[in-house]
Amino acid sequence: MAGKGGATPSTYSPSPTTQKTKSLSFGNDEVLRPDDREWHQCRPAFFQIGVVAAAAGSAYADFGSTKVIVSVFGPRESKKAMMYSDIGRLNCNVSYTNFATPVRGQAYDLGSDHKEFSSMLHKALEGATILETFPKTTVDVFALVLESGGSDLPVVISCASLALADAGIMMYDLVTSVSVSCLGKNLVLDPTLEEESYQDGSLILTCMPSRDEVTQLTITGEWSTPKINEGMKICTDACSKFSQIMKSCLKGLDSALEEEDSNVD
Amino acid sequence: MVGLSIGEKHFIQGGIAQDLRSDGRKRLTTRPIYVETGVISQANGSARVRMGATDVIASVKAELGRPNALQPDKGKVVVNVDCSPTAAPMFEGRGGEELSAELSVALQCCLLGGKSGSGAGIDLSSLVVVEGKICWDLYIDGLVVSSDGNLLDALGAAIKAALSNTGIPKVNVAAGASGDEQPEVDVSDEEFLQFDTSRVPVIVTLTKVGRHYIVDATSEEESQMSSAVSISINRQGHICGLTKRGGAGLDPSIILDMISVAKTVSEQLINTLDSHIAAAEAGEEES
Repeated sequence: MAGKGGATPSTYSPSPTTQKTKSLSFGNDEVLRPDDREWHQCRPAFFQIGVVAAAAGSAYADFGSTKVIVSVFGPRESKKAMMYSDIGRLNCNVSYTNFATPVRGQAYDLGSDHKEFSSMLHKALEGATILETFPKTTVDVFALVLESGGSDLPVVISCASLALADAGIMMYDLVTSVSVSCLGKNLVLDPTLEEESYQDGSLILTCMPSRDEVTQLTITGEWSTPKINEGMKICTDACSKFSQIMKSCLKGLDSALEEEDSNVD
Repeated sequence: MVGLSIGEKHFIQGGIAQDLRSDGRKRLTTRPIYVETGVISQANGSARVRMGATDVIASVKAELGRPNALQPDKGKVVVNVDCSPTAAPMFEGRGGEELSAELSVALQCCLLGGKSGSGAGIDLSSLVVVEGKICWDLYIDGLVVSSDGNLLDALGAAIKAALSNTGIPKVNVAAGASGDEQPEVDVSDEEFLQFDTSRVPVIVTLTKVGRHYIVDATSEEESQMSSAVSISINRQGHICGLTKRGGAGLDPSIILDMISVAKTVSEQLINTLDSHIAAAEAGEEES
């Protein structure tokens, strides 16, 4: 094992490999998750709207240690170079702060994840936004991940739909998104960064709960059909719960902001 | 994009509703598929796949590199898709970038599975030569030569064919290197290791037009779609990846229905593809 010395980084970095010993506990059904949640329990969610004064609409969301801020600007006139379009455009951009990840700037080192996220965010939102209501114009959706603590994309999507609603952009319904990770035999709802780092597969479901419509679904890893069934069921249940919290946030009901018990079982 | 008159649009939509598409196919019939392997001599493996007027080339190049410090026991695979402006004028300049990125991400997700590597079509640990020091980097490049719909499925098939055509040179590691030194290697020009492609999935895209969905859509049919779901399925019938395109929402039960239909279609596709690949390989050896 002496040869391994060259591969380990010379400075300390809290990389997932250093925590790998914990992964052994996931095979056991009785063991709870690192943050003492049940398998099908979300992290406590918090939403707030109108956090950026300059934006037409904005929202902040935190799910455990995942913290995201989304601002919506516009609708404003589309750039001259763009072709005429009788429906509006959504321009989505997801970026990470340098301090979002355990190692500084890591989000950008590990491939172009954020670019992929931008297009996923766009696909998730375009089906829910009534683009016909702002022809020839563009709405900018800028998402910034302040802290990446796992399930970043689902949090960004939910937060962005809240920001769109805050900006008064017409939508069919709020868009909520949740992911489940497949860890061995278990399905884990709303995984943390640590759980995501040794997941066998993931399923991200984005839906409009009141219409019972899935706007985006992404599956990676190997899944059997019953497992997909189960995963989708867990996600849609969690999504409808989140939409309740988001709606009460829009209405300004503080009492319902904090969700502690989102156990699906 | 495809310019269609209102009449043509109705014709396509009406045909799909009646289970008779404009080229005479049924909703769940694919176009005949043609496979050619070894089309690029510079690459370690390559294939060209044609489905109707859709024409794609995939090439696999293997280079020796260093494994990632976080995953010392795994090789690296990079998937990149290029949409050539020769296929369509809209791919010129940055026009094809978005589509290229979308296709690359979808293929990467299908081939590499989850973060722990389970369900991966390509076994990354088989690419390691010396743990933590030397591994093979596989560069998989897809090129869209001509586009008439269903690019993702065609690229998936081409990559599967290219991988089965791939020979990885045998590497002899010189003994005696110790500690942090990079060991010396000798890459053989004669001995090649065949790549195991039995786990590489195929991709089936179901395009929803109106209330029905179709496989292997042409670009005219794709212009009428409300949404499309691409599902990659391996030989065991397990789902290895799923992505959705198109804005319109879908009912969860429809997605599950699509998955089961995709499974049946994929069985046929895997068999056809395997026999075509075998025939192409045999034809190449003869010539």
